[in-house]
Amino acid sequence: MNERICDLLIIGGGPAGLSAAVEAKKVGCESVVVLERDTVPGGILRQCIHDGFGLHTFHQTLTGGQFAQKYIDMANELGVEILTDTMVLELREDKTVFAVSAGNGMTVFKPGAVILAMGCRERTRNQVFILGTRPAGVMTAGEVQHYINIDGYLPGKKAVILGSGDIGLIMARRMKLEGIEVEGVYARRSTLGGLRRNAVQCLDDYDIPLHLSTTVIEVHGEDRLTGLTIASTDSSKKPIPGTERYVTCDLLVLAMGLIPENELSKGAGIELDRVTGGPVLDENFMTSVEGIFAAGNVATVFDLVDYVAVTGTKAAQGAVAYLSGRLNKGKKADVEHDANISYVFPQKLVLSEQNRTVQLFLRVRHPMGLSVLKVEAGNVIIGKKTVPVALEPEMLSIEVKVPENTGETVRVSIEEVQK
Amino acid sequence: MEEIRRLLRECGALTKAQAEDLEIFVREDNVVFISGRLETVEQKVAAGHAVVKAEWVRNVVNDIRVPGEKLFSIDPKEVSACRSKGIVAESDVVIIGGGISGCAIARELSRYELNVILVEAGSDVCEGASKANSGAIHPGHLVKPGTLKAKLNVEGNAMYTEWAEELGFRFIRNGQLTLAYDEAAKAKVVHAYETAVKNGVPGVELISAERAKEMEPALEGEPIAVLYTPTMGVVEPYEVVIALANNAARNGVKFMLDSRVVGIDHNDGEDFLVITKQGCVKAKYVVDAAGIHADDIAEMVGDKFYSLHPRRGTIVLYDKAKIKDYPFTHRISYLPVKEVADSKGGGFSPTPEGNMNAGPSATESLDKDDLGTTMQDLDFALARANNCPGLVEKKDVIAFFTGIRACDYKEDFIIEMSAKAHGFLHIAGIQSPGLASAPAVAKMAVSLLADTMVSDGFEIKPFNGFEPCEPRKTEFRDLSREEQEELVRKDPSYGRVVCRCETITEGEIVEAIRSPLTPTTVDAIKRRTRAGMGRCQGGFCRQKVIDILSRELGIDKTQIRLKSGESFILLRNTRENTSKEVRAK
Repeated sequence: MNERICDLLIIGGGPAGLSAAVEAKKVGCESVVVLERDTVPGGILRQCIHDGFGLHTFHQTLTGGQFAQKYIDMANELGVEILTDTMVLELREDKTVFAVSAGNGMTVFKPGAVILAMGCRERTRNQVFILGTRPAGVMTAGEVQHYINIDGYLPGKKAVILGSGDIGLIMARRMKLEGIEVEGVYARRSTLGGLRRNAVQCLDDYDIPLHLSTTVIEVHGEDRLTGLTIASTDSSKKPIPGTERYVTCDLLVLAMGLIPENELSKGAGIELDRVTGGPVLDENFMTSVEGIFAAGNVATVFDLVDYVAVTGTKAAQGAVAYLSGRLNKGKKADVEHDANISYVFPQKLVLSEQNRTVQLFLRVRHPMGLSVLKVEAGNVIIGKKTVPVALEPEMLSIEVKVPENTGETVRVSIEEVQK
Repeated sequence: MEEIRRLLRECGALTKAQAEDLEIFVREDNVVFISGRLETVEQKVAAGHAVVKAEWVRNVVNDIRVPGEKLFSIDPKEVSACRSKGIVAESDVVIIGGGISGCAIARELSRYELNVILVEAGSDVCEGASKANSGAIHPGHLVKPGTLKAKLNVEGNAMYTEWAEELGFRFIRNGQLTLAYDEAAKAKVVHAYETAVKNGVPGVELISAERAKEMEPALEGEPIAVLYTPTMGVVEPYEVVIALANNAARNGVKFMLDSRVVGIDHNDGEDFLVITKQGCVKAKYVVDAAGIHADDIAEMVGDKFYSLHPRRGTIVLYDKAKIKDYPFTHRISYLPVKEVADSKGGGFSPTPEGNMNAGPSATESLDKDDLGTTMQDLDFALARANNCPGLVEKKDVIAFFTGIRACDYKEDFIIEMSAKAHGFLHIAGIQSPGLASAPAVAKMAVSLLADTMVSDGFEIKPFNGFEPCEPRKTEFRDLSREEQEELVRKDPSYGRVVCRCETITEGEIVEAIRSPLTPTTVDAIKRRTRAGMGRCQGGFCRQKVIDILSRELGIDKTQIRLKSGESFILLRNTRENTSKEVRAK
């Protein structure tokens, strides 16, 4: 079997993988190989033809493709080896990777370190238990986006979107621009699921109605979708009996959330976090398996590709430090949080002899007004930030100065300022 | 007539007045026709069941109407339109219906020098109940002794070993332990044992709890009765049907898809004219294997002497990742203590591919064609997962779907030559154990047909080129790394993974497209390769499958359907007809 040895193997050539590859080269890694299953790198960014990418990273507002291309160009310049049309079949705990491609056949990679950057898959109609038939015309937002933006086909004439997350909002606008009638965006939640700027730029600007606290209960249509039964939802997002009504449409676009794609991670025995759906990571973005790191949406779903690029960069730094034996492989302390927060990422800090700065990402569990975000190690406040408003769809981040020998658990809390 | 009236009064579901108001007609061949009005479908079914309790009743045609019921009807204009398409084919035998029965009969008939055409309403075989069941190859301990079902179940079960070897589908004969933990359940288990003995089920035993635990160390508690049925097996049902269809096609059977039968013209002594949406097919003999619509087809030749009522069954499938925690090797079953509408009560067991399968439910339906999953059916199926508590959670569900059982009121198979329309073979009421019985159903069907043909002076010669074996399809995911490497070296298209969740390669999809019965839809590819059956349910691969189908079949992507009818996935190109300009406010 074709065997390849390399320093760093990156699984996934989207923004996380590419930013990691570029950084790895910049900090001196010799052989960096990226395995990408599509025929060209870029990942999900390829089908994101809308702009708004790179505000933080490049201080420009680029399309997804343009953002990806910047990294692809840098990667090529720096000598990153990108193998496309290549699917990873298996990742083992000892970092062995089996990959297959039409061009190169079966290859077994023996890297010094691995960075997982596989991204996400989308939540399906079945996972949200929408009743009824199974006609054509029911598909996830990403699938619709692919047909329209990459293939150049419209999968419907009149669409209903379920889910007010960013992908749903973006696709509402895209479909309307391309000539699909958008009946409305429906969401089970009582508050917006995506970024506020997207609601303004995608819905308000295009007169697309947003119906919160509403869900799709049933699909109708034998061969092709003909309509939906929708109903209002209560505070726990359950349908309220008696509020059912019928909406005619031929396309149901499901934007019900992303699920980090960690089947390969499971195969390697990597510990996963139930809340994020991704690997439990420490501040070096290393998983529970030594030498295997993770970056981007495979670790937790990010709202901004700029954050994804940050994690790619950090994971690369961690991986390169690991390769040169500089990584502190000591005990790890849990990063805990209060009940206002649904998760903090990364989940662990390495007990270290050094002072260092670590960027934490977190999401609140419910909307909060003006609040103070605080990070404490024992009785010492190691990070504090005032946040004008905290919403679940908008990830917060805070830099904390982690002192040496942080023995106690680090705790993150957020409290609304009392007027 | 009086006996019938009394049975209706006493059936427990009808009021005295309702029972009195129903109209009863007893035909000279002891077929009972009942009509009138009732309130619910459960009442209608109860009435039908009540009538056949009389031993002398050949069967019942239940024309009772209930509110909300969808009646079968065909627009005569449509029949004319289809008839005017003219005769598109002539045959010796037309088989109506490409489910497990139709395809099995097709394969059996292809052993002979006969011109056989199978007409199927859907865009592919196996689009009805045959794809929506739990794949259990039942031993025969749950079927009423003395019925045709019981006989064919036991026979058919035994024939599955050879079928699997010849046709190359996955078949795991892992046996079954049926457990009872209380007296009520024990009574059921013992009854099942006695039934099994009467039906001649091989190897059946009542075993001790100790022995059961030796066989399955993970068994909990102390079962007070255990029935061991070693002949129980499981298949992926769609695999069986497709293998049968491919083999039949390989051996000369013609398949007409998208060919719903809208009428049959027949005069005594003449050939049948089977009128389909694609035109008319002449046939000397007709096999009615039309599933839930078999009675509607029988009506077309004036021989509807039974009626079929639809009973929904919903199944839930779970993520394959859960199978590694499943602790049993045999199928573990519990008999329902509370009757669940003439069903086996559903269960929770692994499929050969490794998905835990929960269900099916059993709910009387008002609409033969409504495959919508309801909350009630879904909840029933989900509750079956409690058979192995803690194994799965709701979040592990990857798919759920509903099929319609073809139930006749005698709850038995109807396999007989028509007494009214010479040359017409009824294959009706094939609900569970229809899948397990299929090899025996086909054998019996062909035997009846052959007898009729012989007495008609029609010569049947064996087909010397009959090839019983269907080559096993390539399954990249199950090969060793070395075997995978070798395969890709020979054909690089096996090195391109299309369905990431199930690890299905482009080579396998192309192989499926090039099989004897060409698949043209996304679902047809799904059933042949499993592309789209994984946790993301085609979200990743559907667009690639469309690309490959478009390329291999040489048709535009807008012509690719998901399933039958007008189920096109892509409606038009984005750059056509952009007459309306849209701008932001």
